[in-house]
Amino acid sequence: MLLLSYLLLSGVTTGALYALVALGIVVVNKATGVINFAHGELFMFSGFVAWSLHVGAGLAYPIALPLAVAAGFALGVATDRIAFRPLMKADVISLVLATVGIAFVLRGVARVIWGGKADYLAFPPITSPEPVMLGEIMVIPQQLAVLGGAIVVMLIFAAFFRLTRAGKMMQATADNAKAATLVGIRTERIYTLSFGTGAAIAAAAAVLMAPLTLLYPDMGFAFFIKGFAAAVLGGLTSLPGAVLGGLTIGVIEALAGGYIHSSFIEVSAFVVIMIVLIVRPTGLLGVSRVRRV
Amino acid sequence: MALFGRRNILLALLLLGAAAPFFVNSYQLFVANLIVVFVLLSIGLNILVGYAGQLAFANAAMFGIGAYGTGLLQVHFGLPFWMAFPLGAVIATSVGLAISLPALRVSGLYLALSTLAFAEFTRWVFLHWESVTFGAGGFKTPPVSFEPLPVSKPVGLYYLSLILATVLVVLAQNLVRSRIGRAFVAVRDGEVAAESLGIDLLRYKALAFGISGFYAGIAGGLYSAMLNYVSPEGYDLFQMVLHKAMIVVGGIASIGGSVLGAFAVVALLEGLREVKGVQEIAFGAILVVFILFMPGGIAAFLRRKVRGWDEPVHRAGPPPNPDPAAAARPASEAARP
Repeated sequence: MLLLSYLLLSGVTTGALYALVALGIVVVNKATGVINFAHGELFMFSGFVAWSLHVGAGLAYPIALPLAVAAGFALGVATDRIAFRPLMKADVISLVLATVGIAFVLRGVARVIWGGKADYLAFPPITSPEPVMLGEIMVIPQQLAVLGGAIVVMLIFAAFFRLTRAGKMMQATADNAKAATLVGIRTERIYTLSFGTGAAIAAAAAVLMAPLTLLYPDMGFAFFIKGFAAAVLGGLTSLPGAVLGGLTIGVIEALAGGYIHSSFIEVSAFVVIMIVLIVRPTGLLGVSRVRRV
Repeated sequence: MALFGRRNILLALLLLGAAAPFFVNSYQLFVANLIVVFVLLSIGLNILVGYAGQLAFANAAMFGIGAYGTGLLQVHFGLPFWMAFPLGAVIATSVGLAISLPALRVSGLYLALSTLAFAEFTRWVFLHWESVTFGAGGFKTPPVSFEPLPVSKPVGLYYLSLILATVLVVLAQNLVRSRIGRAFVAVRDGEVAAESLGIDLLRYKALAFGISGFYAGIAGGLYSAMLNYVSPEGYDLFQMVLHKAMIVVGGIASIGGSVLGAFAVVALLEGLREVKGVQEIAFGAILVVFILFMPGGIAAFLRRKVRGWDEPVHRAGPPPNPDPAAAARPASEAARP
């Protein structure tokens, strides 16, 4: 029972991070219909930016966080300008390969700047590392901080998406881009905004995650594939689905790692992707369309 | 045929390749062999992505399966190289056929991601199925010997690679101009239209995946024999980006371009050896720059500038005019709208 509760808590914590990565993927996919293959690298790069600001430049964590999120937003906008806007009319192969190219440029730059010191950079914890007991369950405060932070980010995003003008324009564009153009929305700007917002959510996830684990240049892809697994499980166009998918993937991973073998943590996401795409491509909460996949 | 046309240039490259062992040192011979292996990978991937339009990310995994298959059959079952090598290619081909199944349900982005997940799954198996694959450390393969022939191992392997590559390049060249190649192009350009023309999607998608698995499997077997060593990190995402860079630089849907792309990528890879971060930046940037500013790659550039680089999908030019009345009229009149 103790093991189960511990696994569930750590599963939900990492799952909340996957949910944030998945949210970014879904925001971009809803608006533009494409998947940004550099999403994981935007996440990784923002984490390193936060490290440089917090550890390198000595800024306080609450200041480093919004700055890293802003950096993530800028990187997302740059991705849109380089790899999406010029290729909007091109075929999907070019689009995907261009974002893959950006992913590798970011990965290489991160390796050149931050990889030389040691391959793994440690981010100092923002809470006390001592575990506390909540009844029967042992809890690491950092996990609670991550979980709380993830929930706050999700709420902020939900408020932005539902309540602000920009959020409503994003919804309109996602719903019907042609109609949105007709009512005067400049959809190209909305696409840029979507790329930026998606990357900013990923950046927030990276900054929340950094104190819990280590930073390394190859982590972007691992989180991208898990975020994608979460997004595809949730249906790829559903925001609540992305959150649900993220939590599910986190828990599946934790249970597989705890009860089968620790190496199964990495593989669960791949298996989920393959199974979901083959058996039920619309995911759990996705709206089935006639020709979506 | 134009002097600097595709056929003459490829022939010149082949002659240069055949003569290479007589004037290069052992490192240069290794690089030459690497180019030949990458030509195979590039062509296999281009048939799948460029001609059949299936954006798959499993080519590096197929390459790895060919290498692991060839190596492990020698290590575990004591098979000689000349038996393990074709069997390794057969294994890669069958895995290629197997992953064509999801391609029937998903396409585009979703196919890309499911094959990416498959590729990472394969690498996970290489890493963690330690009793069979020897885990992260990899394993040594027995040295290949060309015993009755009076050649050393590197030279023998180089000529074996060159002969296979020549045969497979010619085969690919003919394949894409055949009925099969035209069916691939039809599937790429419109699945519904292709099906309405009587093209069996299941069959041709599976065929494209199988062919590309076969080319990657052959390349993997040769590569494992070249290095005498197989380990998981040789078949990772960076390897995948190299393959994608070859076809983008050389030219999507061009066999001649695939060959040139392999030369360009191996040359750059060797030029930037030892600096992984710089290699990643370089290949990532190449992908972006070529897609944005030179779609179609080197092959499209040559097609515009040099005569004899066209690669029609029909062997004998355009088909005869089906309208007998139009054919009976003089050519000048028929050309009029």
